[in-house]
Amino acid sequence: MIEFEWNFGILVPYWGNFLRGAIVTIELSVIVIFASLLGGIVVGMARYSSNKWLNLPATVFVEIFRNTPVFVQIVWFFYAFPVLIGVQMEGFVAAILGVGLNMTAYTSEIYRAGIQSIHKGQWEAAKAVGMPYMRTMRRIILPQAIRRMIPAFANRIIEGAKATALASAIAVGELLHEGELLAQALYRPLEIYTVIAVLFFVLIYPLALWSYWLERRLRTDEKVTL
Amino acid sequence: MTGDNSPILKVESLHKKFGDLHVLRGIDLTVNKGDAICLVGSSGSGKSTLLRCINFMEHPTAGKITIDGKVVGRESGTFESAPVYQYKERELIKVRTHVGMVFQQFNLFPHMTVLANVMEGLIQVRKLGKEKAHEIARSNLQRVELWEKAEQYPSRLSGGQQQRVAIARALAMEPDIMLFDEVTSSLDPELVGEVLKSIQDLSKAGMTMVVVTHELGFAYHVAKRVLFLHDGIIHEEGTPDEVLKHPGKERTKAFLAGFTDFNF
Repeated sequence: MIEFEWNFGILVPYWGNFLRGAIVTIELSVIVIFASLLGGIVVGMARYSSNKWLNLPATVFVEIFRNTPVFVQIVWFFYAFPVLIGVQMEGFVAAILGVGLNMTAYTSEIYRAGIQSIHKGQWEAAKAVGMPYMRTMRRIILPQAIRRMIPAFANRIIEGAKATALASAIAVGELLHEGELLAQALYRPLEIYTVIAVLFFVLIYPLALWSYWLERRLRTDEKVTL
Repeated sequence: MTGDNSPILKVESLHKKFGDLHVLRGIDLTVNKGDAICLVGSSGSGKSTLLRCINFMEHPTAGKITIDGKVVGRESGTFESAPVYQYKERELIKVRTHVGMVFQQFNLFPHMTVLANVMEGLIQVRKLGKEKAHEIARSNLQRVELWEKAEQYPSRLSGGQQQRVAIARALAMEPDIMLFDEVTSSLDPELVGEVLKSIQDLSKAGMTMVVVTHELGFAYHVAKRVLFLHDGIIHEEGTPDEVLKHPGKERTKAFLAGFTDFNF
């Protein structure tokens, strides 16, 4: 084995690069997570719908984005999509589209499964007092279903935050990309990528802790028993 | 609204098929104001399906349903010489506000308190203000003697209490007719009485109702008419005394015999 002398001190003057990368990673993650949680409701409800004009497009969307690599999706939105629409696309936007739509496909499945897990008696009870479909969904079904979805969402959010690192491939200045640039300039890949890994861990581990806490809380707080 | 002598509910040649399964084969039923009608019969005889067709939880395959003097749906053809109707969800939503339904599994909203369960339809459907809804919910919860549980969640209540809340929830909508679908079938035996008592009180107060039940004693004491369903038709009907004590048909006798074997 090669004797290697660790020298993290050399990176200190570059703390601003790491910070800049971390901020972009956080920006990407937050946008992608919120967009997919919102978009997922729409796609998930369309997937659940018995109307084929809603169901079919939603199913096609989900299958395409679940069954191709998210990496390919990012690259596609960066290099291919602009050709289609005739407008050059910023890497940041392409990354949001790629990771965001991929995440949406997954969150929509969580919504769909969650909605499906609610006993049909709940639909009937709401129907029996004269509530229309959408109001039943909003007032009766989703509040119960979302409770059951939370652990799955927590997992998805963690996956989404990690997936933003793939945006480095199209030169989006997130954490990993900042690291790559530094590594090329300083020839200290071991220290740099170690710091990058640690920073990702520091950013994401609180999400994991939060998901454990949520799961514990939901278990003791479960009013959803019939 | 209708005059006192016209029926609240009229069902004519009702058919219901699930795929190839012909569950209801031409049912006629008239319910007048204040009537308590009990539907009895073995499992699979179609009695729950009949009830569920009346408030359109299931769409009838054919047959004419008139509620408060208004025919529901638009006639669009015939099936086995019975008229077929098409229904718009908007119309059915309106119909259901006149028809209250209580289910075997209670189906209370578990994420809402007892009070919120009863207020939900008042606020969301009848568009009442909070105060008015609260007042109506309160009087209906008092009616089933559960006002003291108003702030509890349903999971804290016994099955019998949950079912009485479900009754209050349906009553709060001030329906013209109440449908009870085997509402005591999933209760522990010692909880059946309190629910039946609530329904009996309602009937005494003049509420019109159609009750699907296996509690023949209840049918005997509360019903004005008893209908025995068999194979998707009304096999025998009459006063409780006629149908339950002196049945004329073999099928009815055989059905009743199953209940008397273990009398003591």
